[in-house]
Amino acid sequence: MAKIPSSSLEKLKELTNSISLELVFAEAGKDAGLLPLNNLFGQLEEHVAADWPEALTSGFGSFRALIDRVFENGGNFDATTITQLNGWVQWLVRCWDNLGLQQALPAHPQFGAPASTPAPVMLAAPTSVDLPEEPLVMNIESDGDLIREFTNESHEHLQNVELGILRMEENPNDKDTINSMFRAFHTFKGGSGFLNLKPINQLAHELESLLDLARKDVLVIDAEVINVILTGGDILAQFVTEIELQLVGTKPLQPFVVATRPLIARVHAIMNRGPSKAAAPVVAAPVPVNVVQMPPPAPTPVAAATPAPVSAGKPSQAQAGDAAAGGAGATSIKVDTVKLDSLIDLVGEMVIAQSLVSQHPDIKSIQNQQFIRNLSQLVRITNELQKTAMSLRMVPVRGTFQKMQRLVRDVAVKSGKQVELVTVGEETELDRTITEEISDPLVHMIRNSVDHGIEKPDDRIKKGKAPVGKVTLSAFHQGGSIVIQIQDDGAGLNKERILRKAVENGIIQPGQQLEDKDIFALIFAAGFSTAEVVTDLSGRGVGMDVVRRNIEKLRGKIEIQSTPDKGSIFTISLPLTLAIIDGMIVGVGHHRYIIPTLSVRESFRPTPEMLSTVQQRGEIVNVRGRISPLVRLHEVFGVQPQSTDPTQSIVIVIESGNDHRCLMVDHLIGKQEVVIKSLGETFKANKALAGAAILGDGRVGLIVDVDSLVKLKAAPIQKAA
Amino acid sequence: MSTATIETRPGTTPSASGKYLTFVLGRESYGIPVLRIREIIRMTDITAVPRMPDYVKGVINLRGKVIPVVDLRIKFGLDKAETTERTCIVVVQVSLHAGNKGLMGLIVDAVEEVINIASSDVEATPDFGGKVETQYMIGMAKVRGTVKTLLDIDQIVAAETVVKIVAP
Repeated sequence: MAKIPSSSLEKLKELTNSISLELVFAEAGKDAGLLPLNNLFGQLEEHVAADWPEALTSGFGSFRALIDRVFENGGNFDATTITQLNGWVQWLVRCWDNLGLQQALPAHPQFGAPASTPAPVMLAAPTSVDLPEEPLVMNIESDGDLIREFTNESHEHLQNVELGILRMEENPNDKDTINSMFRAFHTFKGGSGFLNLKPINQLAHELESLLDLARKDVLVIDAEVINVILTGGDILAQFVTEIELQLVGTKPLQPFVVATRPLIARVHAIMNRGPSKAAAPVVAAPVPVNVVQMPPPAPTPVAAATPAPVSAGKPSQAQAGDAAAGGAGATSIKVDTVKLDSLIDLVGEMVIAQSLVSQHPDIKSIQNQQFIRNLSQLVRITNELQKTAMSLRMVPVRGTFQKMQRLVRDVAVKSGKQVELVTVGEETELDRTITEEISDPLVHMIRNSVDHGIEKPDDRIKKGKAPVGKVTLSAFHQGGSIVIQIQDDGAGLNKERILRKAVENGIIQPGQQLEDKDIFALIFAAGFSTAEVVTDLSGRGVGMDVVRRNIEKLRGKIEIQSTPDKGSIFTISLPLTLAIIDGMIVGVGHHRYIIPTLSVRESFRPTPEMLSTVQQRGEIVNVRGRISPLVRLHEVFGVQPQSTDPTQSIVIVIESGNDHRCLMVDHLIGKQEVVIKSLGETFKANKALAGAAILGDGRVGLIVDVDSLVKLKAAPIQKAA
Repeated sequence: MSTATIETRPGTTPSASGKYLTFVLGRESYGIPVLRIREIIRMTDITAVPRMPDYVKGVINLRGKVIPVVDLRIKFGLDKAETTERTCIVVVQVSLHAGNKGLMGLIVDAVEEVINIASSDVEATPDFGGKVETQYMIGMAKVRGTVKTLLDIDQIVAAETVVKIVAP
């Protein structure tokens, strides 16, 4: 191992960086950047010392050869050379990294005469393993669609693998888990083999073989095995991500390399020591489970017997497993969201048409019993249909919760803590969009809980708690909304520190008396999260305002309860779906508008005493001591109202964040749950509207964007009228 | 259009042949490519959308979809007309920017017929000396002694045009 002082290592890294920057300007057929490159490389060479490892010096030699070749070609780059130069720089970067970590050096790229294929781009650390990494080559033209399908499916399999690992950690001998992971890798192998994605195929094959041994009880699952499988899953995920990036065109199409050799070597190492441990007593019991799972035609003895010919047993077992899984789990199909949305649109229309028909006076006057029964049957069916249609968009939060398992595991390991994540109510269903959007805030909060809430094992024992911390993530229904709760049994929030910090940052006045709830809510205040807070307040302030904003964007809210040394509870309430809002329908002239009830605080008819003006233009309303500017909706929207006198109209107090306004409308029409529809691109620039909804009479009602109305203050209102 | 020179589009003439739906506005006749037309519906309740240019009449409910409606009379600067039995909304598919496609309704006095127009019948839009906005015209078609103006639907209702007018 070479000893390069860290100071010169920094210098080397800097030079390497400059080289890669210069390379960006290199273009085939031009000489731009060649001289600076040569100069920089010269500087690099000056650092070469006699005690440098051969791998490094010979690598330098190959770069020199490349540069010389460019000079020989009349000073112009060609495409191959540029790719090779890039590959070389990447190799160099790896070298410095590995030297810094005291690891073996990667083999330097070999460039002979100008090669016909471009050198693969290195994505992950090359290794000291002798075999070269094989680049992954895709044939997009002929296999594009298939590859896309492959990557789509891969996500599912990768999730299965991840899940399996978590279960395996709890119960290493669970045959179901091993089988499901075996199937995942098997499918990977099949798919990649078919598409000729060799590196994926090889890796999946090795992992499959490993799990196969475990299935046959030849191999004991221990931490090393689990780790290898986890790493394997991660590498496969890396492949999939890269393929996807290239497919969508974010990255240019080119062969690429993800290091698989070291892992394969580890797999081999494990498999070689396998048989010696086969006699370990732990494994004996679960064998029959596997046998039971298989349908009669499958060769039963294969699983029970000691290493049978692998090739014979494997396919049939895999199929048997697949069939079993298919039969047991609920089946589902994937549907294009456009189709789904249009189905929901149509069902909504049908409900309206149905009510128009059944409410029609002529129909209502019909006294025929048979007809009335049939009509009410129709009403029932349409309502049921609507309910089903709306539920199509709902998915269980399971997927999101499962991601957290991995997160807790990683964060706990990194911070040297023992943490157990308990999830409750995974089957609770939420609108698909919400489950996606809630993921980031949850990650943030759970990371905080584990990283800062839960104490180190020693501290926990001192406090008389179990060394293993517990974070409970639960989801449940509560009064028309969905509640997601994160509860930890850690140290709890420190009220004094929050208060001190809030005073320091000017969020509250010194000496201000606040309730506990309000104190905890301070961590969500914008400007509370400063870099200093991260260390002082054990990080609880970091980006919490972003968390709150994200949740509010989903029309949800968040609350905190916390007890010192007992832990904290973060409660997020979310609407069941984003597609429906509770709206207040108001009338201005002969126009109707919908105001989201969530932003409405109250509505009333003002008395003359409540109104006053500033400079004869700015009108304000005094609502029980709270001063709120009056916004005339008819002026903002430029429509003819029934009355321009506020005392003859209705004033609605609307809120957005901490701001509020009094919105003047002619009258209230009613409250209704409406399905939000986008107004489309044409009205995108019209910030005053949040969308539209079909009202009970089949006409379109416009949903007012309260946020923009409240923020309207800066713009002179008269101008819009 | 305040500039005196108006760009004619001679290059569009060859592609102007094909089937067109013709409709009338007042005493003028216009054509739109038939492939762009999704359906023709009777005049219906339109919900006015505030803070939009006057030719954007509002939005309608087309079987659960909310689509914008443009009054071509106002867009072309014609006098207002009473809604009659024959007034209808032609629902067309338009390409909005960023490659998105959307539906839009056009209010016309009456639809006439679908005609086949050969490229030899089409002449480039002449220069009206700045009096007429010609950027959304494909050309002028001579059909049985009358002249019909062929419209480029995307240009008429291009979202950019709408946005430009709305922006304060």
